Order: sequence, then structure tokens, then C-alpha cells
Amino acid sequence: MTWTISAPDETSRDRAGEEARLRAVWSNPPGWRYWTTVNNTQIGLWYCATAFAFMLFAGVLALLIRVQLATPRNDFLTAEVFNQVFTLHGTVMMFLFAVPIFEAIAIFLLPPMLGARELPFPRLSAFGFWSFLLGGVFVCGSIFFDAAPNAGWFMYPPLATDKAYSGIGADIWLLGLSFIEVASIAAAVELIVGIMKCRAPGMRINMMPLFAWYLLIVAGMILFAFPPLIAGDILFEMERMFDWPFFDAARGGDPLLWQHLFWIFGHPEVYIIFLPAIALMAMIVPTFARRPIVGYSWIVLAAVGTGFLSFGLWVHHMFTTGLPQISLAFFSAASEAVAIPTGVQIFVFIATMLAGRVLFTVPMLFGTGGLAIFIIGGLTGVMVALVPIDWQAHDTYFVVAHLHYVLIGGMLFPIVAGLYYYYPLVNARKLSDRLGKFAFWHMFVGFNVAFFPMHLSGLWGMPRRVFTYEEGTGLDVLNLTSTIGAFVFAAGVLIVVADVVRPKHRQPKEEFNPWNAGTLEWISEPEENWGVRSIPIIASRYPLWDQPELRAKINAGDFYLPDAREGYRETLVTSVLDAEPIQCLRVGGTSMLTILSAVALGGVFVATTFHWWVVAGVCGMVFIVAVWWWLWTGTGAIPEHVDKNVGLGLRLPLYVSGPASVGWWAMFITMVGDGTAFGSLIFGYFFYWTIHDDFTAGLPGPGWVWPSISLLLFLAAWVALIAARRANRAGSTGVTRLLLGLVLILDLSAAASALVGPTTTGMDRVVHVYPAIVWILLGWLVLHALVGALMIFYCAARSFRGLMNREHDGDLVNVVLYWHFLTITALTTLTVVGFFPALR
Amino acid sequence: MRLLPRELETLWTLFTAPVVWALHFLVCYLTVAIHCAKVDPGASLAAIRFMLAVATVLALATIVLSATLAWRQWGFGTQEPPHEEPTREDRRLFQGFATLLLSALSFVSVLFVALPLAAIERCAS
Amino acid sequence: MILTLPLIISCQGEQSTLNTAGSEAEDIAHLIVVTAAAGAIVWVCVVGLMLFAAARRGEPMAEQSAGLVIAWGGVVLPASLLFILLAYVLFSMPATRPWFEKSRADVEIEITGEQYWWRVRYLDERGNVLFENANEIRLPAGRKVRLLLRAHDVIHSFWLPSLAGKMDMIPGRTNILWLEPERVGIYRGPCTEFCGTSHTRMSMQALVLEPQAFASWVEEVSSARKSPADARAHGQEAFLQHGCGACHAIDGTAARGRLGPNLTRLFERDRIGAGASANDPSGRMAFVRNAGAIKPGALMPAFPEINESDLRAISDYLGAAR
Repeated sequence: MTWTISAPDETSRDRAGEEARLRAVWSNPPGWRYWTTVNNTQIGLWYCATAFAFMLFAGVLALLIRVQLATPRNDFLTAEVFNQVFTLHGTVMMFLFAVPIFEAIAIFLLPPMLGARELPFPRLSAFGFWSFLLGGVFVCGSIFFDAAPNAGWFMYPPLATDKAYSGIGADIWLLGLSFIEVASIAAAVELIVGIMKCRAPGMRINMMPLFAWYLLIVAGMILFAFPPLIAGDILFEMERMFDWPFFDAARGGDPLLWQHLFWIFGHPEVYIIFLPAIALMAMIVPTFARRPIVGYSWIVLAAVGTGFLSFGLWVHHMFTTGLPQISLAFFSAASEAVAIPTGVQIFVFIATMLAGRVLFTVPMLFGTGGLAIFIIGGLTGVMVALVPIDWQAHDTYFVVAHLHYVLIGGMLFPIVAGLYYYYPLVNARKLSDRLGKFAFWHMFVGFNVAFFPMHLSGLWGMPRRVFTYEEGTGLDVLNLTSTIGAFVFAAGVLIVVADVVRPKHRQPKEEFNPWNAGTLEWISEPEENWGVRSIPIIASRYPLWDQPELRAKINAGDFYLPDAREGYRETLVTSVLDAEPIQCLRVGGTSMLTILSAVALGGVFVATTFHWWVVAGVCGMVFIVAVWWWLWTGTGAIPEHVDKNVGLGLRLPLYVSGPASVGWWAMFITMVGDGTAFGSLIFGYFFYWTIHDDFTAGLPGPGWVWPSISLLLFLAAWVALIAARRANRAGSTGVTRLLLGLVLILDLSAAASALVGPTTTGMDRVVHVYPAIVWILLGWLVLHALVGALMIFYCAARSFRGLMNREHDGDLVNVVLYWHFLTITALTTLTVVGFFPALR
Repeated sequence: MRLLPRELETLWTLFTAPVVWALHFLVCYLTVAIHCAKVDPGASLAAIRFMLAVATVLALATIVLSATLAWRQWGFGTQEPPHEEPTREDRRLFQGFATLLLSALSFVSVLFVALPLAAIERCAS
Repeated sequence: MILTLPLIISCQGEQSTLNTAGSEAEDIAHLIVVTAAAGAIVWVCVVGLMLFAAARRGEPMAEQSAGLVIAWGGVVLPASLLFILLAYVLFSMPATRPWFEKSRADVEIEITGEQYWWRVRYLDERGNVLFENANEIRLPAGRKVRLLLRAHDVIHSFWLPSLAGKMDMIPGRTNILWLEPERVGIYRGPCTEFCGTSHTRMSMQALVLEPQAFASWVEEVSSARKSPADARAHGQEAFLQHGCGACHAIDGTAARGRLGPNLTRLFERDRIGAGASANDPSGRMAFVRNAGAIKPGALMPAFPEINESDLRAISDYLGAAR
């Protein structure tokens, strides 16, 4: 270790006082203000409960589908309602349950697992939760007004862009889910920074709990997977709202662009869902095999490998669109290759069980049962990844069976295993063994009875998304069987719900760490809000097994940050590889701002759906003000001291800027996601180029003059901003402020001149896709320039109020980082739209 | 002149081989997609396939280089996993071993992705 | 799973991928059966090993040996098996769905997906339309058929499971699919890309005929088309009077509508409304009276004002051979 550790200072310890102060700092507010808390434990639990509620709702929709299909020519649901029901079932399960549930679990589990008090941006987690709740209720609620989306969960245009068919449902889908995607990206930022920078001292990357490894990879995947969908959503909504013809073949658009963007998101998403569930298994299996996992590095290989390979699979959802066979073959090859890391994970669990002494508890029952189901899904996945088989199986019940085997076996069963496993951390009591086994057998048998026959109904020619079928085709018996199975399965889920909600106050509390697990999260005490009493030094992958008296010492406050003398919520920031402490981080506490921002942003999306432009504008202003206020009061505060004694003789700085700070990382990660969305739009531009002989259709472009002028102005702004940062660091406050003013002027004129080109040449966005894609790229650039202007304004204001100075320049450094990305965006956009048409 | 570059202390080396896989995949797919969009579906792909075969060899060579560096970081195979001691040394061994495994996976995956180049002769076959 | 195999194969539905009557479908059916059987074996082995590991008592396995289980079971075996499987499929793929020069086509048919029916046009060698039909295609056995697949409004997908895998019909694009039907018979195909409210009610029928029978059918249709229909044919007057001809065409008459399916050959179809109901008097009458009740979302309006005798006359007219 490179940092020194001395014995705890015993002379002046007042343990009761320490605990009282810690408790006060981390406590939830009383009364209705309880809902303004941002503590990871509460947010995590609310998040889990909300996601589960959405799952039950979508489960009811699934039962409606099964009732309708129980008998041939049934008229239980009309075609119109049926189409809404299956669309909403898929949408809610994927966007409101499968992805958010892992964010929820991670927010709840990660801090104690990493030995941190909190994730680095607790208010961001809270904001994400509220956004998710509002967006989810909005999307789900639509069906009660007969206005739910009805074009299938992947919303293929031109059906979904046809307003006569899809009504307002498609807007609700696009805007409601965009809102939730924002929350997902917020969660990704939170998790990446949390896992990289907030681990307990000594928890090197070779000792990180596997759950954290998986979540790190998954959060990285979100960063590259969700932005293409957001880009697609933007194009889609522009077509629906303003008739820009991105997917309209008659005006040069192409419905296939949506399919590409959707599945570049959609396939990684399957792994974004699957990996965290397997991560839970990687925590559960060692506990019940009563030994450390065998093949820790193999799991890391599998997680990273899957993360990468999953981005090379998207076209396997498009095998029947008529793309060249050789293109299909690449994706088929990658789809087969991804089976290798998936198989590795299963064999890691088998090897760990072989090398241990297995206790077959309820979590293990759900875990292994889930794997048995998942393996069938994996094997049918190997089948449908073969192009010719997919030509037959695509969009039939065979695929319905395949995807449910994968998702329910690979995700729902492990989640329930995790629920049974981790419930004592919520309530200090276990769930019932008896009910658990009962639920498992209902779910396992019911699931297979429901979904196994679908393989056959698919091969026998039953397409998915049909509201009925003819008698006498052999499908009647299969479908009736599926319906019976679905209800047995639902009964199993209900038993789980009953087990969770039944009153347990008469059940005695379990002792600490009831499963005798080895990982750190079991140190967390359900009654306390502070996460860990003191932040420990970690020296093992399974510290509770290998570090004797760890718990006693943590609870005696013998490690770092045992006190909250100044009344702030504090946690440690450590280095990426070796987890050496580098900063004492003060995180945001309870605040109304998170709810206010989420409501305001939700208002923007909802109002836009109904074309209430004034309301949308007002909500947008409120959102900007709320975020400004949030940043102003909650971040970058100049501490009362330069550094602080965090215990054990260690002094750490309270303020850092640049790459050492969590804020810089958050900005970097956000901008990587932002850059991916931008890249997707650029992909769109070149996509149109490839499919047309002349993608401009002979229409005028923006010319090269104005884009060049704009580009020069952007570059000048960038140089001036870098100069401003240097001036600030040199202590020349006046020069800094002058330069910031210059940046503001340059930036705004650059944005304005970017728009002059297409305006003067009269590029009409609705006549053809070429002007539309140019406008969207320039619009993206200008929007970023305006956000940049707000940031410059913010820095200048901080400087004038004395909140940003020579030593405390974090805000400015982060804005410079934003500007690097903005400059790349400007460079790419303006050269492409200005020069590419002439180069062809 | 040293044969192998100096050892880097960073997390990112872990991702070298999969990034090479991703680049190779993208180059293959984009080249073929653009080419097939611009020519007759029955046209031969011989020149493109040869070019991409060269790209495949380059990708494999880069992955082997990454594997060699990982092999060194892993102590040339003298150490056995699990590399779970709380020392900088074990952390480096872990990184080396994980990078080596990922290089192997990426190598195999590049081979998978190169198979279509051998099997399919025309855009629309 | 293995035990159910004979059951799966023995099912002889008109719409089953396993009841094959075309070369592509045959190749794929073999592939499905072989991979499903191999998958079943793999599943039994892996799950068996997992249960054994969970239930085993006694001395735990050494970590080294357990590591070997991962390396062999999780990596070497699956990677090699997958590589072989993939290579086999990729090398055979161009033969499974072959590409030919356009000139190799014995028959060329353009099929356009519409909400919620199929427009079928038989083309001559130069691509001119010989005649138009709807919701039914007739194909010669043992010949090469070139299909031009298009879409008029939204994405549809063309699928005759017994003959070949599916191919999407996408607005703005023309996808080409070659069929090589081998066995005479009647086969059904549903639309397999969700295309709107009545997606479920959009299917077609394919009749594979002996080449001789096919040629004489084409001859019959082409020549009948050239001769004007009997203007006094029973029901034709009612058909025209109620405006049916605005959307539907009947060759040789004043009905030249292009919006809906061509009804000239309706009499020889098994079903009406793209598979929505049986082609008998009551089915036809109900459909004309209120198509939306049978095909929700269909463009065709309801005709409550047509009196019972006219309705019957129209039905009889459409059902009678021309």
C-alpha cells in the first residue's frame, strides 16, 4: 500500500457522539418530505418496487393475450385492443422492468458492496427514479384511454409513423421512453463513476465483487446502446410532428434506417438485461457453494467479451429484410461467437459448484432452474442465429418462445433468486422457504408448459402478433396448453408477491449475514441509513470470510470517516486500479430539486406529446432553472478547509478538479454517450448516401462557405476557452472573464452562421430526406452550442460570485472537456454537410 | 531498441483485443454494405474479399501482439490464477490473465467473422 | 424433446415449415431438425452436469480441475462445435437460397403487400403485366419462379413456409426471392411482419400445379382477359351500380378500380378477404355488407344500404366462373 495507515486515535473518541452525528447527517427527512430523500437505500427500494409493479402490470397484459389466444377465433379482445396490449406488454417489460430493475438493484446494492457510503451522485439517482416513475406511469396509463402504442414494441415505420393508424400512441411511446432513456443514461454515468472511483480503499480491480464488474460493463454498454435509439427517436418524432421524411420512401427516406438504429440499441439491450441477472448469480453461487468463485478472470472475460460482441449482432433481427447474404453472414458469425462467453459463465458456475459443497437453498433453486431454462433459450438462439433457420423462424412463435426462454430464464428467475437472497438486507428477515419452493415449482412448470409448445406453433407456421388463428391447423391444442401454463406461471409469481408483502413483524429478525456470505454488502444494516459505519480497508475478494473482525472494526468506527463532524455526507474517492484513497467527497443530500427537475422534464415530454407548445416551453425553462440551481447549490462548493483527516492518520483533499474528480468523469462519460447519439445521426447521413444514386436528389445543399465560417468561429471559441482556463489557473481573473465573454460571442455567432447556409439556399425539410438530415445535424450542433453558451454563462457567474477561482476551477475544466466534444461535433458536422456533397 | 513496448499501468489495455475485433467487424460490414449497395447484386466480390482477408490478417496480428503483452504482464505463464492477493503484483497478474483470455476470445471471434469471406462469393449469392 | 421429434415432423399442416414442398424449405427443415436434436443433447449434458454438481456430496473437486472444466466445457468444445456448424451453414447458404440471372426465371411474379391483402401480377419476359390477381398465386412444380416483392403502404413479409423462408416487403425497395416448388399441392402463407389492425387477417394461398396445368391456366386467364365479359351477366349490374368498380377491377367490364383486390378470378379462390373467411355465398355476402366486421381496419366501407337481393346477386356474380 502506498498510503500510510496509523492506529485509530483512541484518546478523543466519542463513539456515541460519532454515531449520533452520522445518523443525523444521513437521516431521511420526516413527514411528507420523506419523499425528497436521495439516499441510495430508499431510492433503490422505491426503484425496485416500481419496476416490479410495472412488471406485474405487463404480466396482466400477457395473461390477456393468452386468454385471447386460448381458443381459435376467440373474440375476447378486439383487434384494436389486442394490438395495444401486446405492444404495451413488450414495451413495459423491456423498458420499464428489465432494464430499470437492474439500475434499481445496483443503486441499492453497490454502495455497501463497494464499501462506499453512497454513489457519487445521489441526487442524480433520485432524479433518474422520478423520471422513470413519471415516464412509466405516462406510458402505462395510455391504455386506459385507448391511446396506447399499437405498432409493436419495435415500432417499425411506416406503420408507426402513420398517424391515422397509430394515433397519439406512438408519440407516447417515443416521448415517454425517451424520457426514461435519459434516466438510464443518468444511471450509467452514476454506476460507472461509482464503480471506478468510489470503492473502499484496497479494493483493487482484481478484488472487485463480480457484481460490480458486470455492472461496470453493462453501464458502459448502455452508454453506447441507448444513444442510437435516442437518435432514432429524434428522427422519428421529427417525422411524426413536422413531417420530415426520414422513413418515408416516397421522399428519399428509408424505413430500414429505423430498424438499424433500433436494433443497434435492441440487441445489446438483451445483454444489458441478461448480464446483471447473471451478476446476481455470480454473488449467490459462491455463497451456497461455500467457496470463492472458480474462474474470477473467466467471468471478467465473459462480461467484457459479451459486452463487445453484443454490438455485432443487430442485423440478426433483419435477416429477412433482403440485405446482401454476405452482410447477413457477418452478423450470423458474431451471433454464434457470442455464445462462447455466455457458455463460459454457465461453466464458471458449474465449476464453482463442483469445487464447493453446495447448499441447495431457495435462491439456488431459482438460480439453477433459471439456468436450465436459459440454456434452452441459448440453444434456440444458436439455431435462429443461423441465417436460413431465421428465414423460417423469424417473426413466428418460435422466436416468441426463444426470447421468453432467454429473458425469463436468464433474467426473471435470477432476479427472483436475488430477491430471496438479498431480502434480509431490506428487512432483516428471510422470505419463506416453503413459499419459495412452492412458487418455484409453479413458475418452473408453468413456464415450460406455456412456452415450450410455442416452439412448435412457430414451426407450424403461427406468426407472432396475431390476435387469432384458425381451428384445425394443429395450433388449437398448442395454444390452449400455453394459456394453461401461463396461468400456472402467474400463480407462481403471485406467490412470490404474497411472500414479499405478507406482514413479517412477528417473524424474529435474522442474525447478521444469515447466509454466511463473504462479500461486503452484508455488512450493511437495514436499520441504518449511513451505508457503512466506517469505510473499511479491503484485502480480499470475500472480506467477510477472510478478514476476521472486519465487521467489529467497521462497526466500532475503526476505519475511515467514522464521523460527520462538519455535518456533510461524505464518502471516499479512490484510484481506478488500486483503489488508493485520493479525495474525501461530499455528496448531495436531501433535496426537492430532484423531483422538481424530473417533473419539469416530464412536463416537457408530456406537453410535446399533446403539442402544447407553450406548456412545453414553460416546463423547459423550469427544468433549466432547476438544474442550474441544483448545480449552483449542490456541486463545486469551496470547502472550509483544503483537506481533512479522514481517520487512521490519513489527510485527503476536499476539493479536486480535472480527471481526479468525479465530476470530470461524469462529464466525460455523458459526452461519450452524447457523441454516440451524434455518431448515429452521421450514420444516418451516410446511410442515405449509400442507398441512393444521388442522395441530394439534385436539391441545393448548404454550400461550403457558411459551414466553413461557422467552423472557424467554433475553433476560435475553443481556443479562447482553453486560454480562459489557463488565465484562470494563472490567477488572472479579469482576463479569464474577458475571454469567457469572447467565447460566448464566438459560440453564438458560430451557431448562427451554421444555420445561414441552408436558410439562404432554401433547403426545404419536408420535400426530401436530404435537406431534412442536413437540418437535423445542424440543429444538433446548434443545440449543443446553446448548451455550451449556458455553461460559459454559468462559469462566468461562478467567477463573479467568487465561487470559481484559481484553486477551485473544476467547473471550468469540465466545461473545457464539454467543449472538446463540441468542437469535434462541429468539425464533423460542418465538414460533412459542407464538403461531402461536392466530394462524391 | 526494446522488442516490446514498456508496460502500461492502465485499465484500458484490457479492451485492446475486443476493440480490434470491433474495428475488424465494422470494416468488414461497412465495406461490403457500401460496395453491395453501389454495384449489381450478381457482381463478384473477389477484390473486396481479398482486401478484407488482408484486414483479417492484420487484425489477428494485432490481437497476437496484445496477447503477447498480456502474456508478459501475466508473468509468462509462471503464475496460476486466482490472483486474489491484495497486492499490486497480483492485480497486474490478474490484468494480464484477463487480457490474455480476452485476446483469445477476440482471436476466435475474428476467425468467426472472417468465415463469410471464405464462404460467400456474391452480394446476393 | 427427442421423443417429440416424430410428432413434429409428422404434422402436415398447409402452413408448416416442416411440411416441405420446395427446395429451400427442405434444406432448412433438415437444418432445424439436426440442430434441435444436437441442442437437446447439449442441454441434457449441461443440465445433467449442473445437477450433478449441485447434488454431489463428498470431497470437492480441486480448483485446478474445476478450472479445466471451464476451459474445456465452456470454451474449447463450444467454440469448435459452433465454428463447424457456422462454417457448414455459411458454405451451404448460397445453395439454400440461390441467386440466378434474371433470365433463368421460368415465371416472374410481382407481389405487392397492401393493408391487408396481396396484389399479384404475372409478368412476361420484358416485365410487362400479363394479368393481375390477388391473394392467391399459382406456381409450376419443378420450375424456377422469380418473385419481385414490394410494399405499397407499410412493411409486410412474404412467407410460404412449405416452399421457402420469408422475405420482407418494404416500401421503396424491391426484394427478390426465388422459389423452386417441388411438390404439387395447396400451401398457405400468412403475412409475417406486423402491418396493422388486421395483420392477422392477411394470408395467401399458393397452388403448386403440374407445369402443364399451370401453362394452360395462364393461357386461360390471359385469353379470358382479352374478351369482353357478358354485360348482362347476372349481378354485374348490381356490382357496378353500387360503385364496387371504383375500387375493384373485373377484367373486361367497366369495373376498373385499382384500390382494392382484382376480383376477376375470385370464383376460383378458396377464401375471400386474403384468407379472412370462406368463399361461399354467406361469406361473400357478409363481407360485402360489412367488411370491417370481418377485417377490422380494412379500407372497404360497410354497405348497409344494399338490399338483400342485390347483395345476393353480387355474391353470385363474384362466385360464378367467367
